[in-house]
Amino acid sequence: MKQVVCKIDELGPGEMKPAQLGPIRVVVIRAMDGTLHGLAAKCLHQGGPLERGRLYDHTVASSDVGEYVMDSDREILKCPWHGYEYDIRTGQTVFDETRCLQTFTVREEGDEITVELGVPGAAGQAGSARASA
Amino acid sequence: MTAVRAQPLVSQAKTQDVRIIDTDVHERAELYSLLPYLEPKWRKYITDFGWQPDRVLPYAQFAAGGLDREDAKLPDGRPGGSDYNLLREQLLDEYNIDYAVLTGWLDASALAPGWPEFKTALMSAYNDWQLENWVARDERILGSVHVNAHDPQNAAREIDRMGAHPEFVQAIVYIGDKAYGDPYYHPIFEAAARNNLPIGLHHSENSPTALGFHRYFVEWHTLVPQVFMSEIVSLIFNGVLDKFPTLQVIMIEGGTTYVPHLMSRADQQYKELRSEVPWVKRMPSDIIREQFRFSTQPTEEMSPEKFLALIDGVGSEDLFCFSTDYPHWDFDSPWEALPAGLPEGLQRKIFFENAQHLYPKMPALRAR
Repeated sequence: MKQVVCKIDELGPGEMKPAQLGPIRVVVIRAMDGTLHGLAAKCLHQGGPLERGRLYDHTVASSDVGEYVMDSDREILKCPWHGYEYDIRTGQTVFDETRCLQTFTVREEGDEITVELGVPGAAGQAGSARASA
Repeated sequence: MTAVRAQPLVSQAKTQDVRIIDTDVHERAELYSLLPYLEPKWRKYITDFGWQPDRVLPYAQFAAGGLDREDAKLPDGRPGGSDYNLLREQLLDEYNIDYAVLTGWLDASALAPGWPEFKTALMSAYNDWQLENWVARDERILGSVHVNAHDPQNAAREIDRMGAHPEFVQAIVYIGDKAYGDPYYHPIFEAAARNNLPIGLHHSENSPTALGFHRYFVEWHTLVPQVFMSEIVSLIFNGVLDKFPTLQVIMIEGGTTYVPHLMSRADQQYKELRSEVPWVKRMPSDIIREQFRFSTQPTEEMSPEKFLALIDGVGSEDLFCFSTDYPHWDFDSPWEALPAGLPEGLQRKIFFENAQHLYPKMPALRAR
C-alpha cells in the first residue's frame, strides 16, 4: 500500500504532513537535515492526533538540576494533547523505548513524496525509519 | 533485547455506542465579551484601567499547546474553548456527548479576595454571558453558577438567581488558597442545598501545593490532588456535610487515585481525634461515599485490574463521574482514558449514571 503525500516542495525542513494509509493515519515529517520520516499518527497514550503536534529539539537527560541541553540532531514530535514525546527517527517514546509507534517508509519519487506500508520499519520495530531524501 | 508492546492503530472503543455525560468542559470568555453583561459602573475598570485576573502559577503549562490541546486553539490565536463551533466539532459531535457540564474559565473564587464588589458583579456578568452564548445555544450544554466565594452572602444570592434556571445544574467554586470548610463560607453551601444544586470544586492556577509553588510545573501538576484533599478534609471536619446533609459535592479535575488513601487516613484520624470535632457525626469515608463525587480526569494509565482495585479501595462504584477537561492539554478521550475491558455496568455508572444521580436537574438522555 502506497500513498502520495504531497509534492516535494510542499514539505520543508521542520514541517509535517498527514497521510492516510487505509485505516492508518500517518504523519510524514521532514527533519531539519532533510531526511523524511513516517510515523503512525495516533498517540500510544490516548490516541492524540500526532499530525497536530509540534516538533522540538530533544532535551537531553542532564546531570544537574537546572541544566538544559538541547540535541538538535534528535528531533522530537510532541503529542498535541498530553505531550508524550516521540523520536521521529524511530517512533520510540523518549521515556520508554519499548513503547514505539509504527514507522513507515517515506521516499521522494519524481516530484512527489510517498509513504508506504509493509516494508522496513514494520510495526513496533525500533531503529531507523529508513526514510530517504 | 527489550520487548515491544502491541499498539492498537484503530480504536475499538470508537464503535461503541456509549452514552456520556462530561462533567468538566471549559468554555472560555474574553474579558471584553463580558462587558455587555456587566453593570455599566464596573466596565471602565476593564476598558480604561486594564483589570486582569491575578495568576499566581509561576510556570508555563509545559505542553505542546500550553494550557490547551494544540489542536483546540483557534487559528486566529484565541484559546481553546472560545468558539462554540469548534467545541461542538471536537467534543460534542466527535464523541457523541449526551451532556456537557460547563466549568468555565474566569472564576473569582480562585483569585485573591480583594475588591469583592467588582468580582461579584463580574461573576454575575459571566453567568449571563454563559447562558446566552453557550447554554442557550445547544441543548447538550449545561451551565454552572459561578460565584465570588470571598463575598459569601452575595455568592448565595447569585446561586439563588441563576440556580433557578433549569439548565444550570451546579454551583461551582474554584479553589485558590482558602479552605472552604470555614464557617465564613457556609452561606454558599447553604444556598446550594437550598436550591438542590451540587457544588463543584475545581482547582486553579492559584491553587498551591502543601509547600507552595515548587521549582517546576511537573511538580505542581503532580501534586494537584493535594489541594482537593485539603478541601475535602476542611469540609468534613468543619461540619459542612453534617450541617447540610442533602448537599452533594463533586471534586473536579483532581483525578481519583488519591481517594482511597484519603478515606483510610481520615477515618483513622477520626477514630483517634473525634472529640476535637464533635460536630462530625459520621466516619469520613462514609461522608465521602454519601456526599462526594469525583470527576475522572486526569486519568493515569492503568490496567483494568488496577482500576478495579481502585473501585474496591473506595468501596463504591458510584463515586466517579467521567470528564474530559476539554479543551485543556490533559484532555481525557472518552474512547481511551479508562482501561479497556471494565464491566459494562461499571462503565455505564462512570460514563453517565453517576452523573445522572448527582445532578437533580440533569435532563433525561434522548433516544438515539
